[in-house]
Amino acid sequence: MLKILVCVKQVPDVELVKMDPETGNLVREGVPTLTNPLDTNALEAAVQMKEKYGGTVTVITMGPPMAAATLRECLACGADSAVLISGRPFGGADTLSTSYTVAKAAETLGKFDLIFCGKESLDGATGQMASQLAERFDAAQITGCLLIERCDPDKNVLIAQRALENGVETVEARLPCLLTVEKQNYRARIPNLRGKLAARKAEIAVLTENDITGLDPRKIGVPGSGTIVPRIYPPALPEPGQFLSEGSTEKNVARLVGLLAGKSAI
Amino acid sequence: MEKRDYKNMWVYIEHDGAAAAPVGLELCCEVRRLCDVTGDKLYAVVLGDLPAAEIEKVRGCAVDGVIRVKGTGYSPYNTDAYANAFTVLSRKYNPSAIFVGGSINGRDFAPRFAVQLDTGCTSDAMELDYDPATGDIQFIEPAVGGKIMAVITVPTLRPQVGTIRPGTFRYAPTGARAQVEEITEQIDFPRENIRCRRLSFKPDEADPQLDISDCDVIVCVGNGLADGTHLTRYRELAALLGGKLGCTRPLFDRGILPYKLQIGQSGVIVKPKLYFCFGVSGAVNHVAGISAGTFVAVNSDPDAQIFNYCDYGIVGDMDEVCDELIAALKARK
Repeated sequence: MLKILVCVKQVPDVELVKMDPETGNLVREGVPTLTNPLDTNALEAAVQMKEKYGGTVTVITMGPPMAAATLRECLACGADSAVLISGRPFGGADTLSTSYTVAKAAETLGKFDLIFCGKESLDGATGQMASQLAERFDAAQITGCLLIERCDPDKNVLIAQRALENGVETVEARLPCLLTVEKQNYRARIPNLRGKLAARKAEIAVLTENDITGLDPRKIGVPGSGTIVPRIYPPALPEPGQFLSEGSTEKNVARLVGLLAGKSAI
Repeated sequence: MEKRDYKNMWVYIEHDGAAAAPVGLELCCEVRRLCDVTGDKLYAVVLGDLPAAEIEKVRGCAVDGVIRVKGTGYSPYNTDAYANAFTVLSRKYNPSAIFVGGSINGRDFAPRFAVQLDTGCTSDAMELDYDPATGDIQFIEPAVGGKIMAVITVPTLRPQVGTIRPGTFRYAPTGARAQVEEITEQIDFPRENIRCRRLSFKPDEADPQLDISDCDVIVCVGNGLADGTHLTRYRELAALLGGKLGCTRPLFDRGILPYKLQIGQSGVIVKPKLYFCFGVSGAVNHVAGISAGTFVAVNSDPDAQIFNYCDYGIVGDMDEVCDELIAALKARK
């Protein structure tokens, strides 16, 4: 029986986030949210492991109360239980303090054999959480796992393929192990109606700063963050290049070919 | 210790035992520039054995010193030994900053030792700057899908850790210094403590079409592409120009082209002489990864941001323009 944890995040649809030109702040109000796409692949890998070897899948997230919607989506796709870490003091956390908080919260749920998380998030996109969580969990790590070949819960080992720039390595990891997966072999499943209904009614455990034993308030939220963003600014947009508008595609292309040939670019 | 007591900057030299990966050398050249401003010394850090000729290349990047770590556990790569080595070294020497090339393995172990050292870590900066008032490095990068540029700093903790993507900075060595400090450290990592170890490795079949980082001509297709069946003409155009095909992130996300062809801040960084892009919106994350001699953009939306980055722009149906271009190029031959 495997005890599996999946760490997920609700993210704003970054395509729709805008910067207020007056204040220079990001406008998030009214921007729809979604479950971080790569987290759905992590969940799928976790659920496949449960189906193959038996066990339970717990999903955990940190965020405002509305992040429960992401947890319900995960429950509909095969997770068994869900935990929301929520509270003002957690806000503004970078990966250093988020990894601390999530691992501390997970400790209250017992020891996990496998931990999955998405390769990176749509909004922060640092791709750092996996390695940092693995350190917090004192676990082995496999980032960019292509395929989990097999897991032997009795021997506490897992064999997996990991994609590198120039090939694929096969690795053997001890449990507990944290993994991020490449999406090609772990496409998210579409929840069925029954799953959706059950997820809607499911209870979501909420952990506040008071529910996590041994939590060091200096290591969470803004005080626990290693990085800050002192300044944001709109990207400098260069002046547009030369539009070719000769009246037809054929003429535009002829002009382009002439210009490129003139520069010896072709 | 106060943060100003942490001195000098380190660059990790990734290698495969035979040759140093370009990213470490690129970083040495860029961090050299930074150290000249801050007054820090630049040290290259090499784990495991690397031939002398390759160490010479590292010296050629005007480093002030080379720290070589000997011991068990460094070949093949594994997270535990690599993270541990930097933690041990950093506790001993207290550097102000550690830069690690953002390869798959660099991004695997650097955030982990940052937690071991209880410090801040950033990734994918496109520019490095220094603020003398605070003594902090400014890691500057596009954020939130390219909507903004963000300045990220590590305001109190040290070392400042940053992973930087291959190709972000140029390899422009200025030559070895007269004096290069040599430090050798013995840090053994017992094999039995390696919790994830390589059993075997299967190299990808070399497909030159998938290596676009040094390509002179690139034809890039973006989210405007209807579907994979429309790719043929772009491949043909690329072949006619003696170039290769690339793509933007949405095409990888849609499963149409592989990650190795994704151009931009979070993919491959390219420096072609001639760059064509079709149906590309012009998100900052994408254009941040391109430094082109001549830049041509084709998009059906005249307001597309990509036109701000191009030399020549054509407003029109991407497939039609591509077909016309193929015909025109064939007619020239």
